[in-house]
Amino acid sequence: MSSYRVAGKGRVDTGKPVDFTFDGKTYQGGVGDTVASALLAHGEHLMGRSFKYHRPRGAVAAGSEEPNALIGTRRGPGRFEPNTRATMQEIWPGLETQSQNKFPSLKFDVGAVNDAAYMMFSAGFYYKTFMWPRSFWDKVYEPFIRQAAGLGVSPTEEDPDHYASRYLHCDVLIVGTGPAGLAAAKVAAQDGLKVVIVDEHSEAGGTLLSEPQAKIDGTPAWDWLSATLAELKATGVKVMTRTTAIGYYHQNFVGLCERVTDHLSALPDDTPRERMWRVRAKRVILAQGALEKPLVFHGNDRPGVMLAGSAQTYLNRFGVLVGKSPAVITSHDSAWFAAFDLADSGAKVQVIADTRAEVDADLIAGAKSRGIPVKLSHTVTATSGRLRVKSVRLNPVDGGSVGAGSNVTCDALLMSGGWTPSLHLFSHTKGSLTWDTDLTTFLPNETPEDCIIAGASRGLWGIEAALKDGVTAGEQTLDALDRAASGTHSYAVENDRAGTGVTHKELLTDKSPGKAKAFVDYQNDVTAKDLRLAVREGMRSIEHVKRYTTNGMATDQGKMSNINGLNIAADALGKPQPKVGLTTFRPPYTPTTFGAFAGYHRGEHFEVTRKTQIDGWARENGAVFEPVGQWSRAWYFPKPGEDMETAVRRECVTTRNSVGIFDASTLGKIEVKGPDAVEFMNRMYTNPWTKLGIGRCRYGLLLGDDGFIRDDGVIGRFGQDLFHVTTTTGGAARVLNMMEDYLQTEWPDLNVWLTSTTENWSTIALNGPNAARLLAPLVEGIDINDEDFQHMSCAEVTVAGMPARLFRLSFTGEIGFEINVPAPMGRQLWEALWAAGQAYDITAYGTETMHVLRAEKGYIIVGQDTDGTVTPQDCGMGWAIGKAKPDFVGKRGLMRPDLVAKGRKHLVGLLTEDDSKLEEGAQIVFDPNQPKPMTMVGHVTSSYQSDAVGQPIALALVAGGHDKMGETVYIPMPDRTIKAKITSTVFLDPENTRLKIAKES
Amino acid sequence: MLHPVSQHQPGVLVASVAAQVSLCAPVARLSLRAKGDVTPLTGAFGVSLPSGIGTCAETDRLSAVRLGPDEWLMKAEVDDLPAILSAGERLYDTLPHSLVDVSGREVTLELSGPKVLDLLTLGMARDPEMIPVGDARRLNFDGVTVLLWRKAEDRFEMDIWHSFAPHILSLLKTGVAELAAEV
Amino acid sequence: MLLIHCPYCKETLPESEFTYAGQAHIVRPEMPSEQTDAQWEEFLFLRANPKGPHYERWRHFHGCGRFFNAVRDTVSDKFLTTYPANTPKPDLESLIGDAE
Repeated sequence: MSSYRVAGKGRVDTGKPVDFTFDGKTYQGGVGDTVASALLAHGEHLMGRSFKYHRPRGAVAAGSEEPNALIGTRRGPGRFEPNTRATMQEIWPGLETQSQNKFPSLKFDVGAVNDAAYMMFSAGFYYKTFMWPRSFWDKVYEPFIRQAAGLGVSPTEEDPDHYASRYLHCDVLIVGTGPAGLAAAKVAAQDGLKVVIVDEHSEAGGTLLSEPQAKIDGTPAWDWLSATLAELKATGVKVMTRTTAIGYYHQNFVGLCERVTDHLSALPDDTPRERMWRVRAKRVILAQGALEKPLVFHGNDRPGVMLAGSAQTYLNRFGVLVGKSPAVITSHDSAWFAAFDLADSGAKVQVIADTRAEVDADLIAGAKSRGIPVKLSHTVTATSGRLRVKSVRLNPVDGGSVGAGSNVTCDALLMSGGWTPSLHLFSHTKGSLTWDTDLTTFLPNETPEDCIIAGASRGLWGIEAALKDGVTAGEQTLDALDRAASGTHSYAVENDRAGTGVTHKELLTDKSPGKAKAFVDYQNDVTAKDLRLAVREGMRSIEHVKRYTTNGMATDQGKMSNINGLNIAADALGKPQPKVGLTTFRPPYTPTTFGAFAGYHRGEHFEVTRKTQIDGWARENGAVFEPVGQWSRAWYFPKPGEDMETAVRRECVTTRNSVGIFDASTLGKIEVKGPDAVEFMNRMYTNPWTKLGIGRCRYGLLLGDDGFIRDDGVIGRFGQDLFHVTTTTGGAARVLNMMEDYLQTEWPDLNVWLTSTTENWSTIALNGPNAARLLAPLVEGIDINDEDFQHMSCAEVTVAGMPARLFRLSFTGEIGFEINVPAPMGRQLWEALWAAGQAYDITAYGTETMHVLRAEKGYIIVGQDTDGTVTPQDCGMGWAIGKAKPDFVGKRGLMRPDLVAKGRKHLVGLLTEDDSKLEEGAQIVFDPNQPKPMTMVGHVTSSYQSDAVGQPIALALVAGGHDKMGETVYIPMPDRTIKAKITSTVFLDPENTRLKIAKES
Repeated sequence: MLHPVSQHQPGVLVASVAAQVSLCAPVARLSLRAKGDVTPLTGAFGVSLPSGIGTCAETDRLSAVRLGPDEWLMKAEVDDLPAILSAGERLYDTLPHSLVDVSGREVTLELSGPKVLDLLTLGMARDPEMIPVGDARRLNFDGVTVLLWRKAEDRFEMDIWHSFAPHILSLLKTGVAELAAEV
Repeated sequence: MLLIHCPYCKETLPESEFTYAGQAHIVRPEMPSEQTDAQWEEFLFLRANPKGPHYERWRHFHGCGRFFNAVRDTVSDKFLTTYPANTPKPDLESLIGDAE
């Protein structure tokens, strides 16, 4: 057994040894140990180096509030986590851990020179030092800060674990499994009520785990605990351990992070490392207990200096003596009990020093009976020991003056500055706080949430008080749920240790306070001196003091430091604490992994990805994909050896020379049906629809009421009251939302309905001079020629035996068709067309070729050539506006002064003088010789290589462009300036001769 | 006439001791939109259109759910589709409405098993227990709008637009295995 | 995540089923072309930004699909009420009274 382990004490199963390593050295602990308790069992207090001064540090606490003992944990490749609290990480066989912020070793660290330069690194150091000279910033200061910044090291490999999340709905959520939480759960656990109780520790019990001496209604605390847990589970209460309530959000929405596998040596299959529970509770009971405050004195951070309550926990829960000859310095009764427990387990307690002049006679008697020297009215002014505390200097205080000090040898120093209710989650609810002068702390006041706070978290010390308050909380909760409590619950506790105490700012000292290293925030290395300096330098609000000194801004969110910091700042400001205020606690309560927040949404499941019915064929045929909105779309289809440029050129040339096939299924489709369908279309789109014949289709342009282009698409009329609307791929949901908005809220009188049919159809586009030849033999119901099925026609037909809505339209400038078949038939149709197309050397093409072909014809893509500030006239599409219509969405907008003003940017074509391809997004100027910054007059919106045109083409928005045809503009690039000529947007076949189907001879 | 067909064979897609996900056989699906007194449609379709949003009505060959104030969805035998469409057509002049064949739009997954309620909590912020047996709800499941029918205490059907099905199925597969590991 | 009562579904449901749709009770003029530039500017662009109760529109996007109105307190983020589109503004004072 390791030398600090006490036989017969604690809940660790030392009969089941567990080997793990810390900085390469193997240590043995038992099942139930944390890394901290197992190291302490071997007498190892030194666990890390501090962030700023690299001072040696040990565990100061035994729970999640631990600021010092941050370690890296490793479980094979990829599984490395920095900044894990050694006090929370359970050991398992094979666990590798390492200390942080040290070089080359924990015991000898060169960064500790910062400590020697303590006087330089005071509050506001960064603000003051790195101000000047400015030129030093890039070369000197920033690299220095980057080198020094950060706690621990980031993992370098991708995390191989998986993470989970679930929603959980319950009637009552109880946070904390201490006496208050358990008593509340016992009351609330009723048939038909779903009760959940959670605790961040590996086992339930809270303070009961540290106080086995208590007897509840005559039953030893631990027996009562097991019986109560068994009873709760039997009643159907969900008891969750290793589960931290990280945040309390609106309307009783609480985030719980469950650590599922971090304590296991072998990872089970299909099991996440962590799971985020998103809980919606009708009622919440917060029973998170209280956190012990350190005392603030010079040398209060030496390894071996520890909270007295934590020492008691290490002894009673883990069976570990944190020292064999500890000394105690306290301002609260609770540390006396800790000292007694350690003494009773064989420690030789060197002294109990109390800052108070008077303490309870029973405590004095208890010390006397154990032979422990007592010093009342004492302060501590120093500690010694490089890597572990060796002695403490105690001085008597008389009427505010500090007498001569004397050194007491010790191997640990237990301290207690009293207790602070844990108000973090309560603060998340926007709960208000009140200052309690007697307890010198904030207590919870009112919260807007359906929530009760119970036990030590509202300043009630002792197990009996907590149990009774838990009962009350349970009863009030039942009452709020319109349930009656069954039976009466009352508790009597023997050997309870409620206790009282006082609170201090930094302790009195006989040394220069300006040189004292009396730490308030251990994790950010903030001292009392820093806080006073901040006030001297003009900080008045606690929020400013916090940011100037970084007090409470570390990963522990000031769990130990906030109240001590406030007391000191208030003293320095000469104001009462509530006038200085408390900084806001924000979620998460403890550091939480990105994995837990991401949950399932990583890798393949990162975001919703929509796939068409033809996706499988595209994948089998080597397509490269690009995301378009939520869709994954085939971008191009490279043949072996082809790069993107070659593949796209081949796809373009084949389509222009013969025929290409394209999956257009992602286009949005809306069935507009009802007696007022045509009226609705007239109001919604710019174009006139009344005279559009059944069986004809038309390009439709959709504006917002501001007059700017929102969407476009071809719309077919399949009946007097029936339109088949298509929208852009990315705009489908937005357009339907906009249409529903106008229909439901502006024109509820219209008898017309909108049904999304995007996914009802697979849509396949055929384009090219051979498109009609390929398609005609497959179509039943109509003859494919210019007489029976002219350009911009639509019909319900059969294609390759499948029912289809067939459109004749073109987004390429070639003869074109879009064939809609019921979605699941999409691949079948594609393969039929592909087979038939072999005779014509058909090519499949993707979105890139589609973009090139349409740009050659000057067809815009909404969202690429327009950006939400472009009107139809700006795009040269005034022809699409039904000027005779009394109103349509955007009509009034188009008359706005800004939209009819001269000098608007117009969409034009650009051809470069040197045949170079412009960059999309490149800025355009009229005069390349003007001084910088130049006046930018537009930008390139689309740019492609074009075999059909014989040189690269571009579309651009240029100020007054429609009036500058043939003029030259300049595109300055980093290495040169490119000259380009403004042209029409139509680069190919302006007479539309290619759209005609030649008569077959 | 549009025959709904699927690229995939109906049957079990993933199963464990906790839960099972199966692909249902294709059915005819119709979106019905109408205002005012819809009683005449009841006669036409042979099912009395349910009145509360989320409630359902069923006959041997057809089930209907009310999805909104003027919206119903009907699932029917594939062979009955033409008759339903023409029944609607006959009523159109007296009771204007929109009846759209959306048989091609979605797939239905059947979710069942002892842990099926937990499986649903992976992707759904609503409490699945609050959906009464026999009801259906359109809701957000992992970012996707789906229609969830509660067929029995431990059996649900989820209608999903085709393109979203791979995303949803991947989460359900993860969940079916994860829940089994806890048993 | 907020809970929102859909006045059509008559259920209180998670916010993730809903989308926000801007300020409520802004009526599109019957004949926009008769609007002056100033009137049209106000209709298009000018919106309230109150600290406190705000009339706003939401849509039960993933559910019944209906747009509806709500009064939400922008300080507490609590919904005071929700009500169908095309119905009049509820009386604010009685709502605040109810909430307290």
